[in-house]
Amino acid sequence: MLELYHGEPNIYFLKPLVALTEARAPFASRYFDPTTLEQCSPEFPHNLESALQLEREGPLLVDGATVLTSSFFVLEYIAESFPAAKLLPGDAYEHYRARAWGQFIALQLSPNVCALGCARYLAPVLRARDQAELRERIGRIEPLERRAAWMAVIDGSLNDTALAAVRERLQMPVMRFEHALAAGPWLAGPAYSIADIDAFAMLSPLAHLAPELVNERVAPRLIEFLARVRARPAVQQALATSKTGKPQEAFVPGAEPSRWG
Amino acid sequence: MLSLYHWEPNANSGKPMLALAEKGVEYESHYVDLINFDQHRPEYLAINPDGTIPAMVDDGRVFTESTPMMEYIDEAFAGPPLRPSGREERWRMRWWMRFFDSYFAPSLSMIGWSVFVGPAVRHRDRKELEAHIARIPLESRRIAWRKAMFNEFSAEELAESRRRGLFGTQVLERHLTQHPWIAGQSFSLADINGFNLGYALPLSQPEHCNDAKTPHIMEWLRKIYERPATQQTWAKGRTQLASRVTMLKRNAQG
Repeated sequence: MLELYHGEPNIYFLKPLVALTEARAPFASRYFDPTTLEQCSPEFPHNLESALQLEREGPLLVDGATVLTSSFFVLEYIAESFPAAKLLPGDAYEHYRARAWGQFIALQLSPNVCALGCARYLAPVLRARDQAELRERIGRIEPLERRAAWMAVIDGSLNDTALAAVRERLQMPVMRFEHALAAGPWLAGPAYSIADIDAFAMLSPLAHLAPELVNERVAPRLIEFLARVRARPAVQQALATSKTGKPQEAFVPGAEPSRWG
Repeated sequence: MLSLYHWEPNANSGKPMLALAEKGVEYESHYVDLINFDQHRPEYLAINPDGTIPAMVDDGRVFTESTPMMEYIDEAFAGPPLRPSGREERWRMRWWMRFFDSYFAPSLSMIGWSVFVGPAVRHRDRKELEAHIARIPLESRRIAWRKAMFNEFSAEELAESRRRGLFGTQVLERHLTQHPWIAGQSFSLADINGFNLGYALPLSQPEHCNDAKTPHIMEWLRKIYERPATQQTWAKGRTQLASRVTMLKRNAQG
């Protein structure tokens, strides 16, 4: 039986929840609260790759002895495990497009979405904790980059100037989606795919985090796309796994932005 | 006819070049000279408006992301499979390609841009260089070029890139003690990807990557170097960047 380690159904954690539900795949839910840093404890499932955690906090899909991380590649693994669900449909060109979107979302979009979400929602949660204990726990996180990402949430790095730059960097990716959706309802080809699951999970928070970028006036096709994905029963079911009732407020630092600027 | 627009067999350009050679697929080669800013000329921007290299055109369809491009090459063309048949190994292939693309390669390439790309263009007229920067479509590439041209990489970011280069080297060595190839038991796109970023590691980081400290990386690089497809691909190189590969010849001196 597959086991999915996940937090609230938002951003990275939402993706495998939707894909497994779309595929009607039986899985055991292992829910955790990433703000407690439980995922950094030695008891958590791990291997060389999960210890490096390019996306920092999961989700983790455990299939027997295999621990799988990096959310888009977990989506591909689910698509390959349950081919009847046709989560990666079409020919090699459509597969290329889905993978190119997965890469674009991971590297160009996600770090910026997470920066906005962490500044608004995660920072106040962490600031309400015992600071000495929190800093001690963060100080033990390995590797260094993962520790720095958590420290940045509480040390004031996500200030107004930094967030203004983040908003500016989000313009190009958001408009790419808007333009791409002129060709049809789905991103990778004529049919719904893991590219749409991936995009929905990372773009839907922008409707409330950056309404100046994602609204009916400047991005009408994107707004329709988000509504189209949200209306799918599997997406509704995945969102309903929330234990807080506010999944849209659950953020983790996520992958780091490019160091090239 | 399949067309590939590429620079040297190195980094992102070398990925589809080596994948196509391994598959035995013929293609029309278009050399895009990065140092001469060919990638920002209107004729190239008509193919890839982002102005990044490589780009591939197959039957009118354009491909601009080198790692997904390699998966397309493996999927669309006949020839020996370059992706493992098992799901777990395919996942591991993809995970490591992302580690290379987003962590290891950018750190090594920042050093490469500061010691090779920057000095190769820096002697030109400042106004001419500024005009080149203004033609670059992507903001992130404008920043990279400005830093390379005018030697504006800070000491801190270069030190951090060196630290990551060392960390990446150690992690890769540890991984290769467990698996003969990156994905597991078979040669795959992840080895092609890794070779393109790492073939010169023993030259650029001789104190960290050598037979004593990283024997598994050295053996892995030499095994890939000896493949006919690698020989054929690196023979297309025109600069000293690509010719560094010969130091992987067994018993090569220095």
